[in-house]
Amino acid sequence: MNAVLYDVALTAYIIATASALGYLLGRRDGLSRFTVLATETGWVLHTLALVVRGVELGRVPLMSLAETVSVVIWVTVFLELWAERAYRVKVLGAFVLPVVLVLGLALPTGLRVLVLTPAATSAWVKVHVALSLVGLAALVLNFAAAVMYLLQERQLKTKHPGTVYYRLPSLETLDRLSYRTLTLGFPFLTTGLLLGVFSAGKAWGSPFAYDPLALFSSVMWAVYAATLSGRAAGRWRGRRAAYFALAGFCVLLLTLGAGVLLQGKHGT
Amino acid sequence: MATLFVAGMNHRSAGVELREQLALEEDKLRGILADLNDRGLCAEVMILSTCNRVEVYGLAEAPGEARAAAFRALGAARGVSLAQVEPCLYHKTESEAVLHAFRVAASLDSMILGEPQILGQVKDAFALAQSCRTVGPTLHALMTQAFSVAKRIRTETEVGRHAVSASYAAVELARKIFGSLEDKAVLLVGAGEMGELAARHLMEQGAMPVYVANRTWSRAQDLAQALSGTAVPYEQFPATMAAVDVVITSTAAPEPIVRALEVDRALHSRRHRPLFFIDLAVPRNVEPAVNDLEGAFCYDVDDLRLVVEANLRERHKEAQRAEALVEREVAKFAARLRDLEVVPTIVSLREKLETIRLGELDKALSRLPAASDETRQVMEALSQAIVNKVLHAPIVKLKDSTRQGHHARLAELISELFGLRRPQREREP
Repeated sequence: MNAVLYDVALTAYIIATASALGYLLGRRDGLSRFTVLATETGWVLHTLALVVRGVELGRVPLMSLAETVSVVIWVTVFLELWAERAYRVKVLGAFVLPVVLVLGLALPTGLRVLVLTPAATSAWVKVHVALSLVGLAALVLNFAAAVMYLLQERQLKTKHPGTVYYRLPSLETLDRLSYRTLTLGFPFLTTGLLLGVFSAGKAWGSPFAYDPLALFSSVMWAVYAATLSGRAAGRWRGRRAAYFALAGFCVLLLTLGAGVLLQGKHGT
Repeated sequence: MATLFVAGMNHRSAGVELREQLALEEDKLRGILADLNDRGLCAEVMILSTCNRVEVYGLAEAPGEARAAAFRALGAARGVSLAQVEPCLYHKTESEAVLHAFRVAASLDSMILGEPQILGQVKDAFALAQSCRTVGPTLHALMTQAFSVAKRIRTETEVGRHAVSASYAAVELARKIFGSLEDKAVLLVGAGEMGELAARHLMEQGAMPVYVANRTWSRAQDLAQALSGTAVPYEQFPATMAAVDVVITSTAAPEPIVRALEVDRALHSRRHRPLFFIDLAVPRNVEPAVNDLEGAFCYDVDDLRLVVEANLRERHKEAQRAEALVEREVAKFAARLRDLEVVPTIVSLREKLETIRLGELDKALSRLPAASDETRQVMEALSQAIVNKVLHAPIVKLKDSTRQGHHARLAELISELFGLRRPQREREP
């Protein structure tokens, strides 16, 4: 039941992605509405799938890699639907949903099954995972906003407006969206990671003892912390901030990759 | 059967010299409308006269004659003969005419695709014909539908979006950079007309305050006053750049007056908040290197022209969608028009039978002077029921026939069989 729901939700996301890309490059307003509808449908089914899985397992579905990726996607799609409405960025789906799909299709398949050891399943660990995931989801949006900003900036600088130019919103909107998603994601990430450090200190004896996921996470946190402080101080905005967002996201992907590929203390 | 037609000339079929000679003032048009109608040439008629087109829309038994009479009258005012006009005219009837009317109202036939004025002009022409009482049910239906099609195209496609003039293109670019222009400060360097126009367009979108710098201090002051802005001494304009969001330059300086070095300094002090340069001067006032600075966007006249071209291409792509929409609407309207054609037959058929019914009812009741109220009521109901039952089948058949296209023949047959007077609609004066 749960697997079926998850598959149907994923199918809805795939349809929504195709439709969002079609809207970005084509010229049918109907596709924009259809994208939202498909995304919402997918999200509702996804919610059900998570609930059903939680009930079946009798615990919060946050212990295995497949589960956490699923939750990251779930939060990301929710934030995407919110941001699309709040910032009136109809093309947002075309930049967020592909990332969602890559995460959803590529990560859990064929890779090492990462499951937290039962020893490490205290309530604090669950909160650590949950908060980190919300942070990651916001940063996926941060990445999408940065990509859109750079695209639109390029269009304006080269003075050759293409289809994308007409579809993308203003630089100001994109810059605000990117800042907002960073200020939203960063506190979650920080709190989540701090809880991780705290729990690791208790469970492993040392907070960073040879765990690749933990190490990469700290690098990722440092990049985002630098971006945020640069923005807050008013020194970075626009293109520079967008480049940092891209850099942060690269480290984020490396972090996830490290968690999946490298043997560490986060799971077996 | 009367035919719906349109005859006319536009910017493609006729030169401006001819078009302007046929463009008449309202009073003359009124005279022509009334005349065409009074002489029975057109049962319904309206004339659309703009600087880009002169067109006659009408309903006539002989559209060719009506067209000739209309354009003879239109040319007569300035001594243009029909022979001169005729080669430049196009002539469309029925669904082709409907298509033309919809395309014109939706600005798909305009010189500048998607320009918004034409819809208002069509509405005015319609109102003029209405005030002359030369509009009947057909033109009324045609035009109301044309207005709604035009509105749909405006909202559902982007055929009217994206600026096609350089100054509006600059405003749109500013919006792509800043989002809202509300409270964005503008610096105008030079007192050229183009610059002033661009500044006004920005102000319409909420941009303020406006600073004006010019080599001649008094010109700067005058223009500042006209724009309710502030004049700044010419030497201070590079310093002012840090405080504004948009810089418009339109001086006659022979070499660039806005230097990349100064812009870099301004950007630094404004913490790289974007700065948009609209360089309307030829030769250019802004060093090209400015565009390479982070946060600076510089568009000169050529760039703006390129953007306008891209915008027009975008409009043309949208026009294809609009054309498809128009075609669907024409098909719908043709059906409505056919429905409209059988209405007079149905009305006179009903009237005929009603007259017979009332006459016969009176006769019968006069032979029954002692009839009670109840009897009278029963007889009334009986006669009505018979008439309705008899009418039901022919009316349904007639309505159905519009979909199969043989309604004209059927209407004639019914008129013949029931001895109806030929349906005249409200066409005859």
